[in-house]
Amino acid sequence: MNEKIHRLNCYVENRPGVLARIVGLISGRGYNIQTLNVGPTEDGTVSRMRIDVLATDRVIQQVILQLRNQVNVIEVTSRRM
Amino acid sequence: MKKEQRTGAQALVESLEKAGTEVLFGYPGGQVLDIFNHLPESRMHFVLGRHEQGSTHMADGYARATGRPGVCLVTSGPGATNTITGLATANVDGIPLIVITGQVSLGLIGTDAFQEADTTGIARGVSKHCFLVKSADEIPEIVAEAFYIATHGKPGPVVIDIPKNCQQALTSAQYPERVSLRAYHPESTATTSQMNRLAKLINEAKRPVLYAGGGVISAGAANDVARLAHRAHIPVTTTLMGLGAFDEHDPLALGMSGMHGSAAANWAIRDADLILALGVRFSDRVTAKISEYAKNSTLVHVDCDPASINKNVRADLGIVADVKDVLTTVLSRVREADHSEWLAKIDGWRRKRPLAYRQMHREVIMPQAVIESIDRATKGDAIVVTDVGQHQMWAAQFFRHSKSRHFISSGGMGTMGFGIPAAIGAAIARPEKKVVAVCGDGGAQMTFEEIVVAVEHRIPVTFVVINNECLGMVRQWQELFYSKRYSGSILSSKGRMASEHMEDDLDYDYRPDFCRLAEAHGAKAWRVIDPAKLDATIAKAVRCKGPSVVEAIVEPRANVYPMIPGGKSVSEMVFD
Repeated sequence: MNEKIHRLNCYVENRPGVLARIVGLISGRGYNIQTLNVGPTEDGTVSRMRIDVLATDRVIQQVILQLRNQVNVIEVTSRRM
Repeated sequence: MKKEQRTGAQALVESLEKAGTEVLFGYPGGQVLDIFNHLPESRMHFVLGRHEQGSTHMADGYARATGRPGVCLVTSGPGATNTITGLATANVDGIPLIVITGQVSLGLIGTDAFQEADTTGIARGVSKHCFLVKSADEIPEIVAEAFYIATHGKPGPVVIDIPKNCQQALTSAQYPERVSLRAYHPESTATTSQMNRLAKLINEAKRPVLYAGGGVISAGAANDVARLAHRAHIPVTTTLMGLGAFDEHDPLALGMSGMHGSAAANWAIRDADLILALGVRFSDRVTAKISEYAKNSTLVHVDCDPASINKNVRADLGIVADVKDVLTTVLSRVREADHSEWLAKIDGWRRKRPLAYRQMHREVIMPQAVIESIDRATKGDAIVVTDVGQHQMWAAQFFRHSKSRHFISSGGMGTMGFGIPAAIGAAIARPEKKVVAVCGDGGAQMTFEEIVVAVEHRIPVTFVVINNECLGMVRQWQELFYSKRYSGSILSSKGRMASEHMEDDLDYDYRPDFCRLAEAHGAKAWRVIDPAKLDATIAKAVRCKGPSVVEAIVEPRANVYPMIPGGKSVSEMVFD
């Protein structure tokens, strides 16, 4: 298992329940979130979430695809730290 | 002119009608009384289940039989939590559902109010999306969005949680003409180069196999699969969820593949040089040992869900697109082909290892024979709904499936208790069709109460309870992998482990008496024990104008074969 820290950048609609859904997708697979930042963007209806999580590339790819499937997620990018 | 105001509850009923809802399944309670108050005037036909899980499975069966979303309305707290199994069942199989739950008034949320539960919090992990309504003004738009989300991309269940004060507040908000979601745009099409590569792979393949899943059925692409199969002379296997996507009477049909799939189907997948996987998700029940799965084949995976591609199995060509679009486009570029040599090899496997079973005792009905009898009695033209377990696999194996949306089963979640209510939902959706529910004695007891709904509405479903006096699939695994220690799986008083011994003074081996239970619910019922009387009994029940129950007492030691044991590969397939 080649786990590394990945930083996920998520742009999401600023609505109740979105944070819970995103965090649930990660924690539900048994992965620990190491850092979590949530804040507004210039567009008040969009929030940005920065999530650091220790996982393998394969798991992160799957998580990104599932995050993009979420109804309130606008875009997700990631980079390895 | 000021738009006329009405309550949020009225706006909900009106919005559900505008979304095309014809049947509403559900169960009332304190936090949805305002909505129920407006149902008598509604065009929607309300079906009262006897447990919210049953109502949710009915809506699910309705959706599977039609492709249209099933709609279910329940109260807060326990009403909502009772829908969770139904939501999870629909979620993993990609079935469009709208589940509306009452909620305590906004001001009471978080106070541990009576019948308060964090419904959206609980339902989040088992649904495609959840809405918590915060104002009556939001209701029409949220309903429209919920129907859109449930039916676009990979379909799935959507929860709308509506606090009581929002049901009572006045609003003039109108149902939107069109839905536009900012972040959710699931439509995706294949690129030209993907389509060119796909056509080239098909044209060059020597040993191709088409592998169709539930996604083919939800995309309405069964005819396109048949056209491609016939044009390019490709044999077709399906998943459990894909049964009916290809007519099993067709010489190109291999039947189901996977853990309990036919040997021919599994060996064809093993030896194919090209696998065209359409609308599947490569469940572990299908692939068996993943590192051995299709390791020498070129694998093309077409699915509407980008997250399913490369999830379990690496795809050499992954196409995120509507299966029907891909098939219609590729069809014009595929040449007619002749793969007789490949098909002859497969035929050899068919002859060597046909799907068959042996009569274990002359005077005892074999469970597989019950399925064959249902096929004969309905001339193959029935919607077959199953529960979960051995009987489900036998129904998959021994009924000749020929039409889309005619085999309804909980595939991914494997939800016992699904069969009876889902069959009722399917029969309400397709009143012109004969619906036969196949259940085991275990699962039948989980939701038997719903049979009263079939009686009340005089729905001619035939419920066949295949009674082997045990939890057969559990017993089978215990026999094969747990040293025949039948812990917790024997329902009769005979053959139980000493630790589970029942009182000696009981005058029976097995309870309940399914026939008396059915009659108590108002259904006609027959028990059949003698193999010679099986066909006549099933035929009589199938002809019944109202709901009928057949309890078939079968061989308890029968196992489902072939079987690829969990974690093993196709080369380790076990036969009877």
